[in-house]
Amino acid sequence: MLRELIRVIGSGEARRIRLHLAAVLWHAVSQGVVFVLLVPLLRALLRGETDAALRWLAALAVAAVVTGVAYYVQALLGFRTAVAATGALYRRLGDHLGDLPLGWFAAVRLGSLTRLATAGVGEVTVVFAHLVGPLITAVATPLTVLVGMAVFDWRPALAMAATVPVLYAAYRWSTRVLAETDADVDAAIGRSNDRILEFAQRQSVLRAFGGGRAHQDRLDEVLVGQHEAGRRQLRRNSLARGLFGGAVQLSVTFVLAVSALLALGDTADVPQFIALAVLVVRFAEPVSALGDLGGSLRTVKARLAQVREILDVPPLPEPGRPRTPAGSRIELVDVRFRYPGSPTDRFLLDGVNAVIPANGVTALVGPSGSGKTTLTRLIARFWDVDSGSVRIGGVDVRELSAADRTALVAPVFQHVYLFEGTIAENVRLGRPDASDEDVAEAARLARVDEIVHRLPDGWDTRVGEGGAALSGGERQRVSLARAILKRAPVVILDEATAALDSVNEAAITDTVRALAGRCTLLVIAHQLSTVVDADRILVLDGGCVRESGTHQELMAVDGLYRRFWSERDRVGGWRLKSG
Amino acid sequence: MTGHQDGLRSMLRPVRGRITGGVVLQAVATVASLATFVAIHLLALELLRPEVDRGAVWAVVAFAAGALVVRLVAQAVGYQLMHDADIDFQLAVRRRVAAKLGRVPLGWFGARNSATVKKALADDIEAVHYLVAHALPDLTAAVVMPVSALLLLVVFDWRLTLATLVLLPLFAVLFVATGRRGSRQGERMAGAVAGITRAVVEFVQGIAVIKAFGGRDRADNRFHRAIDDYMVAFSAVKGPILKLSATAYALVSPAAMLLSATAAGTVFVALGLVRPIDVLPFVLLGLALTAPLVVITYGPQAFAAARAAAERVDEVLATAELPEPPVSGSPADSRVEFEHVTFGYQEGAPSLRDVGFVLEPGTVTALVGPSGAGKSTTAALLSRFFDPWEGSIRVGGVDLRDLDAAALYASVSFVFQDAGLVTASIADNIRLGRPDAGDDDVRAAAVAARCHDRITALPRGYDSVVGEDAQLSGGEAQRVAIARALLADAPVLVLDEATAFVDPESEAAIYDALSALVAGRTVLFVAHRLHTVTEADQILVLDAGTLVERGTHAELLTHDGVYRRLWQAAEQQGTPTGGRR
Ligand SMILES: Nc1ncnc2c1ncn2[C@@H]1O[C@H](COP(=O)(O)OP(=O)(O)OP(=O)(O)O)[C@@H](O)[C@H]1O
Ligand SMILES: Nc1ncnc2c1ncn2[C@@H]1O[C@H](COP(=O)(O)OP(=O)(O)OP(=O)(O)O)[C@@H](O)[C@H]1O
Ligand SMILES: [Mg+2]
Ligand SMILES: [Mg+2]
Repeated sequence: MLRELIRVIGSGEARRIRLHLAAVLWHAVSQGVVFVLLVPLLRALLRGETDAALRWLAALAVAAVVTGVAYYVQALLGFRTAVAATGALYRRLGDHLGDLPLGWFAAVRLGSLTRLATAGVGEVTVVFAHLVGPLITAVATPLTVLVGMAVFDWRPALAMAATVPVLYAAYRWSTRVLAETDADVDAAIGRSNDRILEFAQRQSVLRAFGGGRAHQDRLDEVLVGQHEAGRRQLRRNSLARGLFGGAVQLSVTFVLAVSALLALGDTADVPQFIALAVLVVRFAEPVSALGDLGGSLRTVKARLAQVREILDVPPLPEPGRPRTPAGSRIELVDVRFRYPGSPTDRFLLDGVNAVIPANGVTALVGPSGSGKTTLTRLIARFWDVDSGSVRIGGVDVRELSAADRTALVAPVFQHVYLFEGTIAENVRLGRPDASDEDVAEAARLARVDEIVHRLPDGWDTRVGEGGAALSGGERQRVSLARAILKRAPVVILDEATAALDSVNEAAITDTVRALAGRCTLLVIAHQLSTVVDADRILVLDGGCVRESGTHQELMAVDGLYRRFWSERDRVGGWRLKSG
Repeated sequence: MTGHQDGLRSMLRPVRGRITGGVVLQAVATVASLATFVAIHLLALELLRPEVDRGAVWAVVAFAAGALVVRLVAQAVGYQLMHDADIDFQLAVRRRVAAKLGRVPLGWFGARNSATVKKALADDIEAVHYLVAHALPDLTAAVVMPVSALLLLVVFDWRLTLATLVLLPLFAVLFVATGRRGSRQGERMAGAVAGITRAVVEFVQGIAVIKAFGGRDRADNRFHRAIDDYMVAFSAVKGPILKLSATAYALVSPAAMLLSATAAGTVFVALGLVRPIDVLPFVLLGLALTAPLVVITYGPQAFAAARAAAERVDEVLATAELPEPPVSGSPADSRVEFEHVTFGYQEGAPSLRDVGFVLEPGTVTALVGPSGAGKSTTAALLSRFFDPWEGSIRVGGVDLRDLDAAALYASVSFVFQDAGLVTASIADNIRLGRPDAGDDDVRAAAVAARCHDRITALPRGYDSVVGEDAQLSGGEAQRVAIARALLADAPVLVLDEATAFVDPESEAAIYDALSALVAGRTVLFVAHRLHTVTEADQILVLDAGTLVERGTHAELLTHDGVYRRLWQAAEQQGTPTGGRR
């Protein structure tokens, strides 16, 4: 458990943790000594040897003061360790999450992860503040007492020692049973958290379609599931829970009965037996605390295991000796890729070969689901290719340092995500140290200036979670400004004007032209108008690049691209009309 | 807890009997737990007699064993009762909250991030569990134990009792000092925890942005900032009281209590005030006087936290609901009227001003205008995601506010840009609006929306779960949403950029689907691609929240206005083939 803890938190805090443990042990043993000293003291008192009693009292007083000091020291150390360990754990978790491949996030259940991050890490804090101390005390103090008792009389000590394996077995068994049901309940809670979160986020849709009644039933289903898991836990637990407490009490009664028996046969030293009986009680008290602590310990262990599970997910491998790219030309060489866990063994991208020249505009077209967005993800190395390679400036993206990679590419995503905060904060995310002029320039190019002029709070307009408090087109323009401000050598625009009206779209098209001179642009658009001017057009279909060339070149042959156009012409004739 | 009708308190009523039972049993168990101590004392008295009565000795042992049984049984049954009550209570609360969520105005969600919502719904309800299942029995034990021990000891010897408790006043002083400093900070902690949840949500949902913009390596990144806030709050809450509380607990720790009991006892014996054997109960029971203090003193903090959580849950339960009409009106037809509608998301900043128009039954109306003009807002109002500040919106002559949810959504259905799929099977997503629809209906809708082939290519076909084994691209998700609207089959249809992400190939397919979808319905169509709306019966032009122009395509082109500007820009984007636009 301790090793696990240090492993999870990181060895940076190991020394501090050990120090805390030493203090806890010190406290537990000196408390045991205080208990043991009761025996000679009470014996002297009962025998009427007042002077001896006073001497033992003095000894006990010294031990008690030492114990008090130890308590104080371990409490302080415990708190500091808790704070340091929590911080270290959170940072580790955060850094690790940042290094994971994107695929991991697609599969993650948000409800469980947030629960882990809040309740879970909080519980790790509790380990140091409130768990390690009592836990070690619950073991070390009774052992000290046991040793002390043996010094006075081996017979009750033996009886007591005999109960230890029984207690141990009872403890193990009950914790195991409890842990099993815990996992069950935990999973049920995670499920219902996810469902509740979604229920809240999708309210509008759920309501509009049948008042969400069907979904409410689905929610109710997991709530009932949680209820039943709780019930099952309760049924199975009642025995396991009672068991350990009962075993402790039984042991006490047993040892007392043995003591009584011994005292009856050996009346000579009644005072000592009485004193030892008191010690038996002192032996049992900390042990019985173990029953309650066991519960917390279990939860913590389960959490640690969950944290470990995340920390054990291998991050995207980083190059040992990163190389520096020369320029911003992008080459795709025999790229094969499919999403992990995808149902078919067919590759989504199956041998993509293409060159995206530096400082030009390259357009990527292809039917929905052909993998255009996926290709951009590979360029940004959100995923790694299964075979082949993606090179920027002649260097495989896997050989770029994380910092270089991040600096190279500025994407505008198909699904815009903004961070809760102001428009200004979100744009500045592109380059936090940008001058005000640069920000204003990016805003102009992305037509964000129009937004901040129109909205009453201007730059300080809050964008809401994910950007939900902006209109679709506003959101898209803010994310474009963010990417422009970054001044990265490679800019990827994935449907960057899909949500824009024609005036704004025209302005952005101009911006794209303006950007073309200063960076490598990869543009994905369903509106072919954006595509016409591109220096080079790549047509993606069926897993590879079917055609490439300029608009004129591609129109000259009877291929996919031309079919797109004729399709477009047919669609162009479509009008939404009544009847 | 506030005392309003639907509050948590009223929800406790059905389980109150079990809780009371649990508390009583806990009290019994606590008293019984003192029996061991009493037994040792009796045993000692018996053994110290010149003539030991064996029968009496065994009677004492039997007494201890009997008390043990009582204690175990009472505790087990009590625990069972409490947790049983708690589990039922939690289910009731979660259900009530879920039902509530289905009825609060949607603006309520907009004003909160999902982390806050999740905290109220999941974490806080879990925290209330502590209140019901643990706080009460713990507090019961913590009160009954010292009180009964104190009674016993006072009966034995009140002077020695007082002497044993010498350290208690010191503890009390220190404890009061810590309590005063600690309690104020609870809210701050709760805020810091919500901050972490929010950071995690952002991390997961915005990971692509974080990676692309280097947030991960920046010292000021949002996750680290949330952690720092949390750490600062944590240290600020617990740090200052730590030294005080550590000292306080050291003063009432077992070692300290034993010292005061034995010291007082020895002195009393030396002074001849008591017999040596009279000291025994104090050595035995002295610890019972203060052991629960830890619970009592920790209690209020945990108790306060749980109470605060309960208050937040209560607050959610007390949120005003979208008023449902006592009797639902029923729309005469599918005519839609907006009359002097003003609405905004923030007070004082209306996004729509005095908007009025009519959608005649069976006609297509296009809503166009620059980005941010208020088109989606208009669509959302017609779907009653919000109620207007002023003015009214009517369907078939009935104000939306006079329609209950069922009647409203039987009349109005929509497809938005965000497809809004839920984590359920594709089939269930499509039949969301008509849960009783058969598989054939679902399939037919999917075929019409041109997503059937894509769905059957999924590993489990229609049973694939969205976000799990069905990862759909933007265009694919949108087609599923269209299938859903097709199946819902409402006479009024709101389309908000329903084709934004669709490629030419499937766009053609979807247009076919949409043509089928709009047939015979009253349609409000928000579009940026103007060429698609030229044949609409009516075009409404919004600009910065005001309805500036209306008419047919031809009419609108005749004068120099917003529409003509938009149209010209679109024309300029036109293509060399000229076939389009
Ligand atoms: N994270 C993911 N995990 C598994 N499969 C995915 C994931 N993202 C996308 N896919 C699948 O991969 C295929 C290609 O998706 P991609 O988003 O690259 O298409 P696209 O060409 O950008 O389409 P669109 O034009 O509709 O945006 C789709 O069939 C999609 O369902
Ligand atoms: N949830 C919200 N909270 C606060 N303000 C909002 C919210 N949603 C939209 N707004 C604001 O209301 C105004 C109108 O937004 P709306 O989404 O209706 O525009 P739109 O015409 O649909 O634009 P677009 O063409 O870009 O989708 C915008 O200025 C936007 O910033
Ligand atoms: Mg895409
Ligand atoms: Mg909109």
